[in-house]
Amino acid sequence: MRAALSRDNVRAGLIGGVTVLYLALVGMIERFQDRDVITDVIGLGTLLILIGLAGTGYMASRPPKPRPGRKPVTANPALIGLVAGTTAGVLAGAVILILELLISAGVDVRSVLASVTPGMLSTMEFGLGPVGGALILVGLGAALGAGAGALRLLSDQLRDTVTFTLTAVLLMSLMEPILSAVLDGLSLPDRWLYEGGGLTVLGAVLTVVAAGAGRWFWKEREPQRKEAVALLPADRRTLYRKLAVFAAVAFLVVLPWLVGSFISDVLGTVGLYVLLGLGLNIVVGYAGLLDLGYVAFFAVGAYATGVLTSPASYLVREEGQLFAEKGLTNFWVALPFVVLIAVIIGILIGAPVLRLRGDYLAIVTLGFGEIIRTLVLSDWLAPYLGGAQGLLNVPPPPPEALDLRAPQNVYYLILVFCGIAAFVAWRLSDSRIGRAWAAMREDESVAEAMGVSIIRYKLLAFAMGAGVGSLGGVFFAAKIGSIFPNSFGLLVSINVLSVIILGGLGSIPGVIVGSAVLVGLPELLREFAEFRLLIYGAILVAIMILRPEGLVPNKRRQRELHARDAEAELSVIVTDEATS
Amino acid sequence: MSHLLDLEGVSKRFGGVQAVDQVDFHADQGEIVGVIGPNGAGKTTLFNVVTGFYGPDSGKIRFDGNNLVGLKPNQITKVGIARTFQAVRLFGAMTVLENAMVGQHPRTRAGVFGALFHTSSTRSEEERVQAKAGAALDFFGDRLSPRLNSLASELAYADRRRLEIARAMATEPKLLLLDEPAAGMNPAEKDGLIELIGRLRDEKGYSIVLIEHDMPVISGVSDRVVALDYGKKIAEGTYEEVAANQQVIEAYLGKSATQGQT
Repeated sequence: MRAALSRDNVRAGLIGGVTVLYLALVGMIERFQDRDVITDVIGLGTLLILIGLAGTGYMASRPPKPRPGRKPVTANPALIGLVAGTTAGVLAGAVILILELLISAGVDVRSVLASVTPGMLSTMEFGLGPVGGALILVGLGAALGAGAGALRLLSDQLRDTVTFTLTAVLLMSLMEPILSAVLDGLSLPDRWLYEGGGLTVLGAVLTVVAAGAGRWFWKEREPQRKEAVALLPADRRTLYRKLAVFAAVAFLVVLPWLVGSFISDVLGTVGLYVLLGLGLNIVVGYAGLLDLGYVAFFAVGAYATGVLTSPASYLVREEGQLFAEKGLTNFWVALPFVVLIAVIIGILIGAPVLRLRGDYLAIVTLGFGEIIRTLVLSDWLAPYLGGAQGLLNVPPPPPEALDLRAPQNVYYLILVFCGIAAFVAWRLSDSRIGRAWAAMREDESVAEAMGVSIIRYKLLAFAMGAGVGSLGGVFFAAKIGSIFPNSFGLLVSINVLSVIILGGLGSIPGVIVGSAVLVGLPELLREFAEFRLLIYGAILVAIMILRPEGLVPNKRRQRELHARDAEAELSVIVTDEATS
Repeated sequence: MSHLLDLEGVSKRFGGVQAVDQVDFHADQGEIVGVIGPNGAGKTTLFNVVTGFYGPDSGKIRFDGNNLVGLKPNQITKVGIARTFQAVRLFGAMTVLENAMVGQHPRTRAGVFGALFHTSSTRSEEERVQAKAGAALDFFGDRLSPRLNSLASELAYADRRRLEIARAMATEPKLLLLDEPAAGMNPAEKDGLIELIGRLRDEKGYSIVLIEHDMPVISGVSDRVVALDYGKKIAEGTYEEVAANQQVIEAYLGKSATQGQT
């Protein structure tokens, strides 16, 4: 017990308590309470409190990282969780109690802390009044902290099953808009699963049973399954792989008809980021060139499309006229030229930065991204690109049937683009070129000593990344119909970079999952728009701490990161032995 | 007779330090040349000048009928010089096989089109690359071949050194430059290395230049030894001749020590 009462654990508890209070004081808990996780049982706001308290215990009871010269303190993880969780609960309860006292003493707390509303307080107190609320926060902190810490005592398989099941319930509930739309689309009943925006009790129980049992047996059978797969003859394995790809494609094709217009629209936005992510992944993930100005290629794609297809383009417009009869050419004819232009600009941007590595490269590319935006805004190019007024009336791609006002059609267009980009990225990575890029990323000088022309392969990476990124611009121009410089700010570059880092650098599935999490999830939580950036940031920080290799990591990178951990541990053991 | 590698009056200066000073150096077909000298004598700089990482300030470098001055490192690899590095520098996140496959880069030509459409020439080239990389790894018996799909960073230290040599072999060089291949090896591994270097010449027909501090290794493999000190060549000849050279002894032990002896 004394070991569990260490300063580290109390500090972890204080951090947890402050986090819960912060979420409450910015109003997030109250707003989230409007949405039910399990209808009439638990709201999303309450769940946030519970996650905060349990998470405190879980994080505090992490096995300590070996550090040279320090003997690891061994304490029962459940006790550590108890200490940390209780600390968090005491802190949260105390602050809530103080706020209540101030209010009853007539102090205008809301003039400073605008979110201290009766609703927030009631959520924090679980409807039990000030004293009862404070007590229950302490009690819950102790119970959840100890429970979460006790998870560390379970076998890996059991712990994995428990966390998976809890995550599944949360995700099932958050996906209510999608899944109930799907059930409606299939004219299946959905009242048994969802009611009033959250899961029904029955739905929650079914999710727990299905996810828990499914995960348990999936893990249980893993060795046998791997063995069975290894024993399959090669032609069978390729056949199954082809079937799986076919099923995935079929699913993607019918998806928009299942989920309806709103979700299809969200999928279109996710798809745009998948496309941009695939392109940037070539530059950053494969070739290791940190490019912070990727938006430049997106802008080039959009503006080139506008100039080539819009009737407002200077190429077709008469002097003093606003619009010509029609644009120079149509979308499909323009497409290859746009990509070509982007590739050339990619090479032009790449050429001056060939000598730069790492941080310097990042800063210079950042500059290029801004230069492109400033150029577009400038008076000098205004007659050609429209300046701040933008470039209007970019026509949608023919034929008429491909009406981009229908989100489903937008989705199919971006799906085709993403398919092409993913194919290009996959084939390139799995080739002589991919090997040369990987070698260059690992060690530029050695790659050069192995005969890899650094100049050629850096330029190739920029050119390929630019080509794919311009496809994103083409799509964007055709979808929105008008192009404004504001759409091409630094934030786009940063978002795309976040997507690929979160998903896992160098991993194509990672790009898709990264976009779904960073772009799709906030769209689903649209009702909480004011907290979107907070959630976005929290997701990024959490994943980078808990899973630095990304959500769906490139296998090699994962192995290398873990090999490094093992090496670090080994060196600690060695130095410990040396010092003892 | 013209030499395979021939350096004439090569110099390289970094700021106030004359790292390589008017060095004449050569290596003949099928010869193993040892380069010795105290730390900072300019041995690695000499390698870096030959392989194009630094341009020489003056002097001529010819290899197999080519003028190397002004060529980039990747072009020099292509004309037939491969090297290893003093500190092992493998591509840690790539597998053992992939490391060796990168070595085949200068002997292959597949471009974007071939990569995207898997043309028949690209496919046969990929098969050839795998076969040649595999053959280079097989040269080390059962040290590397059973670990084709391990990451290079997962290998034991001595195997990493072996993989560096295998990767250099995969470039199909005529001349192999080894920078302190015995560093960090135990005596048994050093004996293995001496045998290996002999096999590299006898079975693969490489000419070899190696930098080494370990005198048993130098004496065990070298046909000829060149000693450098302060960037200058101070002695050249058989191991026995160089080891007995007064200037070499002074360079290693310091002038005062030798004076004290006499």
